[in-house]
Amino acid sequence: MDQEAAKMLGAGLAMGFGALGPGIGIGILGAGAMQALGRNPEARGVILTNMMIAIAFAEAIAIYALVIAIILAML
Amino acid sequence: MPKLGLKSKIAIAAVAFIAIVLIGAIFFPVAKPEAHLAPNYDSPFAKLGPIYVTNTLITAWIGIVLLIIFFFFATRRMKLVPKGLQNIAEWIIETMLNFAEGVAGKENARRFFPVVATIFLFVLMNAWLGLVPIFGVIGRGSVPTTVSDNLLHTLVPSLFPNYQGFEVTVPLLRPANTDINVPLMLALVSFVCVEYWGITSLGLRIYLSKFLRFGEVLAGLGLLIRGKIKSAIGIILFGAIDVVVGFLELLSEFVRILSFTFRLFGNMTAGEILLVVIASIIPWGLASIFYGLETFLGVIQALIFSVLTLVFATMAITQHSSEKEHE
Repeated sequence: MDQEAAKMLGAGLAMGFGALGPGIGIGILGAGAMQALGRNPEARGVILTNMMIAIAFAEAIAIYALVIAIILAML
Repeated sequence: MPKLGLKSKIAIAAVAFIAIVLIGAIFFPVAKPEAHLAPNYDSPFAKLGPIYVTNTLITAWIGIVLLIIFFFFATRRMKLVPKGLQNIAEWIIETMLNFAEGVAGKENARRFFPVVATIFLFVLMNAWLGLVPIFGVIGRGSVPTTVSDNLLHTLVPSLFPNYQGFEVTVPLLRPANTDINVPLMLALVSFVCVEYWGITSLGLRIYLSKFLRFGEVLAGLGLLIRGKIKSAIGIILFGAIDVVVGFLELLSEFVRILSFTFRLFGNMTAGEILLVVIASIIPWGLASIFYGLETFLGVIQALIFSVLTLVFATMAITQHSSEKEHE
């Protein structure tokens, strides 16, 4: 395989597989937050902030994959 | 002219919009997107001794100066009943303080607030500065020698000359958060502050005992020496788990720096790349929607950076209680 092709393939795979887990995680988080919201609508503000923070944790992992992908594609 | 219903009006507008977008995409291509991880150290704009004045540094300075100017004029003539700028500034500070008090409690929030609020304002200012249209278009560059792929020129060469514009390769202004050094600096500040707060409020010995948990192993060894082998083995085993857990906590303390850095850097860089990519796919119209998205993302990232600092600080000053759980 061509070296450049391998790099691009690696970048795409890194981003694709790296987005898989965080995607599932954010889905679970969103579902949990919506359920909590449905059960206790008064706690909207607290639930939303906590959801955002938790989503940021999950999203960070996808961002690491993105950084790896950018570095791979640019080197 | 026949009267048109609302539905057909909307349909006509949609078709016109799509046509404009397609024409723009086909006939007036935007330059290919390009991502940079670090500022261009090989060609800084100035050099003050050992300091390289790069484009991101200039932007960070502009952000700081804008914040200072805003809060200087807001707090210059303070009145009991706020008005105008003072009102805005008070609203910003009060909202943030209320939020921090909700997370960390009243007394702790007052203590952490200066650092956390500064981080929030700095990150937010830099994120929003990057959306100002003058970013990325002023700077050093050259007229490219390659022929452009302008479709109008290929179709009717005599009517539309092959115009090649000036292409900026080293922009004068670049959002500071897209330089990995700025998030790293913020992460280090946050790390040092959290450790400082933890040590000063718990004392060095108790704070370190969160991470270096040899207490139970030593107690177990003491029992072993005294000859109570059966009970000693269990305590030593639990103690060994405790040591590993403490080591992992110590490790996670340092991993935070990395995760802080890459979260902010990655999000901001991804936003920049997203804007350029959208502009190169569909040059007209649609890009502004993503500017709205980026405005929102800037607030979210600033919020996350400051709230995580706040949460880690609150965790650092609370006493560890798992030693009592085993007893």
